[in-house]
Amino acid sequence: MTRVQVQGIVKRFGDMPAIDGISLEVRPGELFTLVGPSGCGKTTLLRIIAGLLDQDAGSVLFNEDRMDEVPPYLRNIGVVFQSYAIFPHLTVGENIAYGLKARRVSPDRITAKVAEAGHLVQLEGLLDRMPSQLSGGQQQRVVLARALVIEPRLLLMDEPLSNLDAKLRVQIRSLIRAVQRELQITTIYVTHDQEEALAISDTIAVMDRGRVLQVGKPWELYLKPANRFVADFIGTMNVFRGRVEEGAAGDLRALVTGFGQRWQVPAAGAPGASISVGVRPESLALEPGANAGETWNSLTGMVTEAAYLGAVVRYEVRVADGLNVTADIHNPDFAAIRLVGDRVTLWFAASRAVLLPDQAGEA
Amino acid sequence: MRGRRRDLWWTVTVAAFLTVLAFLVYPLVTVLVTSFSGDDKRFVLAANYERFFTHRYYYSSIINSLYLSTLATLGALLLGTTLAFAVARYPLPGRPFLRAAANLALLSPPFIGAYSWVVLFGRMGLVNRILGEFGWSLPTIYGWRGILLVFIVQYFPFVFLLVSAALRSVDQSIEDAALSLGSPPRRTIRTAILPILAPSLTAGGLLVFMGTMADFGTPMIIGEGLRTLPTLMYGEFMNELGGNPAMASTLGSLLILVNTVALMAQRYYAFRKAYNVVCIQPLQVKRTSRGQLLLLTVFAYAVVIVALIPALTIIISSFMPTKGPVMYAGFSLQSYQTIFFRVPRAIANTFGLTALAVVLDVFLGVLVAYLLARRRSRAHAILDSLIMLAYAIPGTVVGVGLIVVYNRPPVVLTGTWVILLVSYFIRHLPYPVRSCTAMLQQIDIRVEEASVSLGVPPFRTFVKVTIPLMFPAIISGAALAWMTTIGELSSSILLYSGPWATMSVAIFTEVFSNHFGTASALASILIVAAFVPLFLTYRVLGERGALGV
Repeated sequence: MTRVQVQGIVKRFGDMPAIDGISLEVRPGELFTLVGPSGCGKTTLLRIIAGLLDQDAGSVLFNEDRMDEVPPYLRNIGVVFQSYAIFPHLTVGENIAYGLKARRVSPDRITAKVAEAGHLVQLEGLLDRMPSQLSGGQQQRVVLARALVIEPRLLLMDEPLSNLDAKLRVQIRSLIRAVQRELQITTIYVTHDQEEALAISDTIAVMDRGRVLQVGKPWELYLKPANRFVADFIGTMNVFRGRVEEGAAGDLRALVTGFGQRWQVPAAGAPGASISVGVRPESLALEPGANAGETWNSLTGMVTEAAYLGAVVRYEVRVADGLNVTADIHNPDFAAIRLVGDRVTLWFAASRAVLLPDQAGEA
Repeated sequence: MRGRRRDLWWTVTVAAFLTVLAFLVYPLVTVLVTSFSGDDKRFVLAANYERFFTHRYYYSSIINSLYLSTLATLGALLLGTTLAFAVARYPLPGRPFLRAAANLALLSPPFIGAYSWVVLFGRMGLVNRILGEFGWSLPTIYGWRGILLVFIVQYFPFVFLLVSAALRSVDQSIEDAALSLGSPPRRTIRTAILPILAPSLTAGGLLVFMGTMADFGTPMIIGEGLRTLPTLMYGEFMNELGGNPAMASTLGSLLILVNTVALMAQRYYAFRKAYNVVCIQPLQVKRTSRGQLLLLTVFAYAVVIVALIPALTIIISSFMPTKGPVMYAGFSLQSYQTIFFRVPRAIANTFGLTALAVVLDVFLGVLVAYLLARRRSRAHAILDSLIMLAYAIPGTVVGVGLIVVYNRPPVVLTGTWVILLVSYFIRHLPYPVRSCTAMLQQIDIRVEEASVSLGVPPFRTFVKVTIPLMFPAIISGAALAWMTTIGELSSSILLYSGPWATMSVAIFTEVFSNHFGTASALASILIVAAFVPLFLTYRVLGERGALGV
């Protein structure tokens, strides 16, 4: 199993820094995801690790081996590309065997290993087909098998599911995760889809504009986002700006919001400091009527949108001019349904509020 | 990649630059410089140009050339576009035949087309002799009318092919949208369809204009002394009284100037008018009234039959008994027997040199195309433009340039077969380069990266993955290069010497010595030789297409 270390990688395209000094460590055997909006540099970083792109500064290490001068064809990594990059002139079997032939494996061994890899990704019986005869999901399995069969030190996957429809995406996602666990192969996975990242990863690194903002377990990123960008990117977050006041019990401090509400939240920060507090939509409870002030941490408003999705109702509530709050009410019964125009009160438990530094510095 | 800058591709870049500089740029620059030299080889600023523009004998050539090429371009655009619309949009009977026939019309080199019209309508021509029995006669085919006829008939298929391809990329929704917004059908074509076709229309027009400007054989054969830039240039250079390279170079420089201006104008225009068209459902075939359909059918078949007449005339007349320019009814292999006795060398030369040139074109073309598509840098952009220069430069100019440069030490190539090979090679290099570059732009670069990541080094990846994927483009580039090289006349006629005459040269001299039967036999072989690879290409690519490659 391979441990990957990325040390101070910098890459510029022209004057634009695509990677602005990134250091990371990927533990042996884990599935590590780089997630971020398009243009954040995640694919660039992946290509540098693969050796398909040269960095301007910094190093990539596989265990103790420095890879910077090693060309991509000697790095022994499996890469799965967004566009599949299937060899259209070769059969499925020949595609899978391609890397083995390059390694001069004996024909008997190749046949056996191709069959084994085909079985692993559920492609039995399709080995003689041409790629053009396969569906998108099958093509994705071919390139996965092709990357795995060479027993790479490392598996790199660049948005492997983005060309599939929603149902197949979940199916192949489970397959990838199962195969990765079975082979215990260190995997770096790139996606712009935060839900996919949460579902598949051991560890996630959130990237923006060439920097890593936070690294952590999926639940760490969701429950304790390090800053506003991470909070917005992973899931949905209602953010309130306010000023810290004294005079509360325990870890909690009083916070006066920009629109005059007084809350108790776990606010670090000296009295008078200006901070942001985040509350997830599902952390909010909703009651009819305007009862704010009767309990701590509540706010009143009017429902402006209500999307009934069955298991959940998503309400948009205007609590102040220009400030809308999103609230998800799970498992709603008849009595819990509110309509557009209804006056409502929202409240949340102090422990579910998240303190959010404004700047990206705290990564 | 790091530390590997001076790899194989660096060598290819340097080799390609040296080749293009030595065989294209240096000769052209020499022509330009020579046009400024006087009789005693001193530098005389613009004296030759002054002489050109003050003597009617000279300046009439550029007027004739511009006049003929402009009319031919307009005629070919009108004919080619109308035919393309008729075939694409209306349920004409036999549409596949019409398309194939328009393709086939490209197979005979223009000068052979010119010659075929002489065979039919010339003074001793078949038609005129039949009419003569009844005491009738037709207006003369010689002179500018004949040239114009041949130009339009020989070059309109370029417009047809380009416009047909462009029409296939126009989505039906464009027309539907225009019609639904209240635009009548004619106005819809004018305001919604034609603007989308503008880049293809102008590209087709450019091909016709540059091709007819450079055409040497057609005016020689059917022009009867009408001076155009290439014929006058040839005359000045090969004059029996010693030749005047300075004046020939002046004419050549003007020819380059006219073609370059036309090329730049089209590039500029097409660049500004290029739209990204997304085509999901191509334009549909329209229903129309019986009368209109009949009219269109007659028109389409008339055009296509006229376009096929040259090839048919040549092949049929090659099997007729002949005496000088006069052909008699009947069947005979006499002409073929004669050519195998008289000019066997020419046949061998043509096939040998063409094959060699095509192999070299494909070899360098594939490597250069890869550079242009994958290693785009400023140097490669320059290389691209230099190679494409070969499109715009007439064969006569290349021929004169090569002779002027390579008839003196340190490298003497005149009098050898090498100089013919050089001309064929450099002039047709753009075909494989173009076809392969276009193909590479459609091949996902990640496929190559996948191969590299699987442990295959870059050059082996190129051989094992890229070349197989480029195969269709390699074949079609080679077929195009073969087709255009095999009947090449304008530089061959200058560059051949003694035993190295080619079939095109032999046809030319046979026509001028009134041996029409042997000329037809040679031309028939040329037409068939051009046809076979094209036919095979369609077959092979059809199969590859089925694989989805």
